[in-house]
Amino acid sequence: MGIEEESGASLPGGQDGKKRRVTYFYEPSIGDYYYGQGHPMKPHRIRMAHNLIVHYSLHRRMEINRPFPAAPDDIRRFHSDDYVDFLASVSPDTLADPAFSRHLKRFNVGEDCPVFDGLFPFCQASAGGSIGAAVKLNRQDADIAVNWAGGLHHAKKSEASGFCYVNDIVLGILELLKYHRRVLYVDIDVHHGDGVEEAFYTTDRVMTVSFHKFGDFFPGTGHIKDVGVGSGKNYAINVPLNDGMDDDSFRALFRPIIQKVMEVYQPDAVVLQCGADSLSGDRLGCFNLSVKGHADCLRFLRSFNVPLMVLGGGGYTIRNVARCWCYETAVAVGVEPDNKLPYNEYYEYFGPDYTLHVDPSNMENLNTAKDMEKIRNTLLEQISRLPHAPSVPFQTTPSTIPVPEEAEEDMERRPKPRIWSGDDYDSDHDEDEKAIIKSSNLNDYMSRDVADDMEEEKPAVPPPSGCC
Amino acid sequence: MAGWSTWSNGSSLDLNQVEIFDVCNGNDCRNVKDLADNADHDKVKTLFDKVFPVYLKENCSHAVVRPMPVLLGDGQAVDLYKLFSLVKEIGGYDFVSRNGLWGYVAKELGLNHQVLASMKLIFDKYLNDFEEWLGKTFKEKRFRNGNHGCDWGFKSLPLELEKELRSLLLNLKDNDDGLVNLESNAISEYIDLVNHKEDTNLLDTENQKINTYGDVQLSNVDDDEKTCKNVKDDSVTLSTLIAENGGGSRKRKREPLSGMLNWVRQVAKHPLAPLQQTLPKPSKWKEYKGNDFFIQLLRAREARLVKPGAQPNNETSSSQKAKMCPDMYKDHVAPHHHSAARLRCSERLPAPVKSRTCSCCNSCSPNGKKLTSSVNTKPKNCFPDKTTSISCSPNGKKLTSSVNTKAKNCSPDKTTAIVDASTARTMTEQSGEDFIEKHVSVGPLYQADVPEWTGEVCESDSKWLGTQVWTPKHDLDLPSEKDLVGRGRHGNCDCHFKGSVECVRFHIAESRMKLRRDLGSAFYLWGFNRMGEEISLQWTAEDEKRFKDLMSLSFPSQNKSFWSSKSRYFPDKTRRDMVSYYFNAYLIQLRSYQNRVTPNNVDSDEDEVEFGSFSEGFGMGALKIPGSNFLECSQNKQCTDLD
Repeated sequence: MGIEEESGASLPGGQDGKKRRVTYFYEPSIGDYYYGQGHPMKPHRIRMAHNLIVHYSLHRRMEINRPFPAAPDDIRRFHSDDYVDFLASVSPDTLADPAFSRHLKRFNVGEDCPVFDGLFPFCQASAGGSIGAAVKLNRQDADIAVNWAGGLHHAKKSEASGFCYVNDIVLGILELLKYHRRVLYVDIDVHHGDGVEEAFYTTDRVMTVSFHKFGDFFPGTGHIKDVGVGSGKNYAINVPLNDGMDDDSFRALFRPIIQKVMEVYQPDAVVLQCGADSLSGDRLGCFNLSVKGHADCLRFLRSFNVPLMVLGGGGYTIRNVARCWCYETAVAVGVEPDNKLPYNEYYEYFGPDYTLHVDPSNMENLNTAKDMEKIRNTLLEQISRLPHAPSVPFQTTPSTIPVPEEAEEDMERRPKPRIWSGDDYDSDHDEDEKAIIKSSNLNDYMSRDVADDMEEEKPAVPPPSGCC
Repeated sequence: MAGWSTWSNGSSLDLNQVEIFDVCNGNDCRNVKDLADNADHDKVKTLFDKVFPVYLKENCSHAVVRPMPVLLGDGQAVDLYKLFSLVKEIGGYDFVSRNGLWGYVAKELGLNHQVLASMKLIFDKYLNDFEEWLGKTFKEKRFRNGNHGCDWGFKSLPLELEKELRSLLLNLKDNDDGLVNLESNAISEYIDLVNHKEDTNLLDTENQKINTYGDVQLSNVDDDEKTCKNVKDDSVTLSTLIAENGGGSRKRKREPLSGMLNWVRQVAKHPLAPLQQTLPKPSKWKEYKGNDFFIQLLRAREARLVKPGAQPNNETSSSQKAKMCPDMYKDHVAPHHHSAARLRCSERLPAPVKSRTCSCCNSCSPNGKKLTSSVNTKPKNCFPDKTTSISCSPNGKKLTSSVNTKAKNCSPDKTTAIVDASTARTMTEQSGEDFIEKHVSVGPLYQADVPEWTGEVCESDSKWLGTQVWTPKHDLDLPSEKDLVGRGRHGNCDCHFKGSVECVRFHIAESRMKLRRDLGSAFYLWGFNRMGEEISLQWTAEDEKRFKDLMSLSFPSQNKSFWSSKSRYFPDKTRRDMVSYYFNAYLIQLRSYQNRVTPNNVDSDEDEVEFGSFSEGFGMGALKIPGSNFLECSQNKQCTDLD
């Protein structure tokens, strides 16, 4: 499989497209953590992925380390003290203790994020792996560092969310920022990467790009218009998608957007969250990606030859998660594995076909070409507004002095519809008409916003990249 | 009347300003559905014919004119009852529209296709709201009768409905203002209910009752998930009551606000025409005092347009969190998320499986009707108090965020939000779902501390490299090794029954042996000795059987206590042992069975799945091919030496 001709994009510095030094972090006890019966999050999937990887002999091309568990102090680099104290000390037995129970709601620990046996060691392993991956990249010991136990992108500074307690990604990125001026975070989980976006919402040192289902879907954030604030403005990119996203549509968005981001932002390191719930047939997801389509994101990012951290994330049909992460490990080391799975301990999970790849379903793709086009253009425009984009001509716009009472502005903003939020589902008529109205509204919005942005960004122009 | 007067007189609420939105029609359609099925049509029709004009009179007298009899586009009269019952029978307005069944309806009614559109329109204009009204009235009475919270008993429904209608009719005859009476009863009852809930924070004597509505709703939302079902019913009932109440106020209040609307319309139509009054500049709007259309407009605007994020997120952080997988603990018959069924679900319904908040809010807008369609003519919002408004998306979408953003929707000052329903509609028609947008929190409590880039790097601790277990073997780049990487299984084997459980086990054992040779110590360091079915060899047959029995026992009912109580049954096993057994042996055997017996329906992720007809040895008996020598793990025994 020609990885290079597949990749299509290269920045200077790309050498051998196949050879990358890959380090992979694996905690052998990870599979025994158990969120509880009926809970869709199953760390066992990481063990299954590891099992497949080794049976495919992919380990021969990697350095494999057991992560050092992150201590509470390390986790405090992002998370708040009391939250970390809580996580470190709570257990199913102490749950009823009023000292803990009164915090449950505050930290959103309970139903989605239950307290289970070994909760904190699990978080430590996950975070330790991602920090380790960052250190590995920092030391230039590896070109790609993989931690499938990481990628828990929903965790907030003082709050668990969406099965995530400790945001290993943020911790890993903070570690990367010690050595790298700019870090790009890319998230292809079906859910919005809200925890990471929020953590770096106000900085331009981290750009977050999330591709996710949007509209009546957890966690509810990730609107295309959420672009960051302050010096982080336009450094958060959200790609809101609809049900049934397939390989071709995804690629047609992912590649141009990432290409542009890489050109304009020129990150010194990239973190890719490979949540596998965007795969077809996921228990909680609603996209229709094949393993190859999913891995194409990794393949593409890899081609830029920038230090790359690859993390796990969601994924709730565990046999497909193992397939996906195994295949992506193969992509990382530059191998195209056979489709027939080798015999392995979890072989029966992959029946009745026992193959690495499964066909996507025939579900309808609710993302219309028109919507895709719109999204792409909107975002490409947003990216090109980034200050150090050489290709963007400087635009002079009449300056608007921000008055506290921007009443008219609000009036204008409020009624803008969300074209991609899926409210077209049950319309049985007038669809085209509506779309036109919406797009024109959107255009209004965008064009006006350009003016605002130019104004606000001038002070915070980072110098051109490539000088670090 | 008592309750109503207490409310209107006993509080200093300016009724001119109060306009509570009509909230959320419930799942009413269901109630009426059986009507068409079983009931004595003639009797019901008579009732219908009596009730409907009353309904029209009560609900549509002021702003909307609904002439009777109802004529179709070609001038012929339409039998409303027939239309109503037929559409209900088929599955409701939405269902009919979606599936393009209006043609069928027309045919059934003996009408031709040319009047299809006007027939649909008639249903929309006359019957949709009627249905809602009927359902509300009905439910509210049920509530009063103390049946609240339990199943509505669909079977006997038509009869009861008939009864309800009769008594309703009597009421109406006795008292011209019967509906108001009805409302007042509802309200007094409602307040009783409210008083039982002790949530009295944020109470403000001025608008106490209104506040309390909100609190109750909130407390419902805050309730534990397990009670979610009840919450749902609660909210339906409460919403209904609020809606009833809202209807009452609206009746009184529509005129001034529609005046305002007309005024806005005029201004919009004739932008250059001189105004009777001069409007202040936007910066002065806040101070603007006046008693005219403009102040109404401002208030309406304020209520609708609250800057997202303008309020601190105090509510969102403490009250209700979005759930990623809300139903996993409580709903074991949850729809599978795959394939076409899954798609349909997300296409048409609010998809309550996605979020717990959905299931609560769901009651408010379960029908997924579209905002812009006139089916759902009233935005279903309530503004209960200054900090805790809950907005329910009128079209039943975006429910996840709707509760989460409640703090953002609230009116910034103490004035209870005041908007005429129709005002709100004109605004929301454009605004779509913006008002329930969820925004990113900004502040030191939310962002990571990112230091400025100084160009200096500080050393990373090398402890993070962890323990190296394996180093790549690039130097061994022998051709044979090269081939090995990424290699799958060989095409054929010599097993007698290819693909049988025995065959697969044999090859897995083979593979394991090879792996152990290849990996050396890493085999153990990575825990391969604790992977796969061989874990079951540490279990006695008796324990295995008990485990299996317990698993099938505990699904789907007592699932939560399953693992914790296990130790009672397996005193010598840790939780880890059991989890390990579950994933490495139990599920694999289950999947073996599925792969061979129900290959089109495989699932490793629904814990509820039970073994098929397995009785012994986890189905090995069922899978064993007669006459074959059951290997009885003889190959595997070689691997047991590994440990």
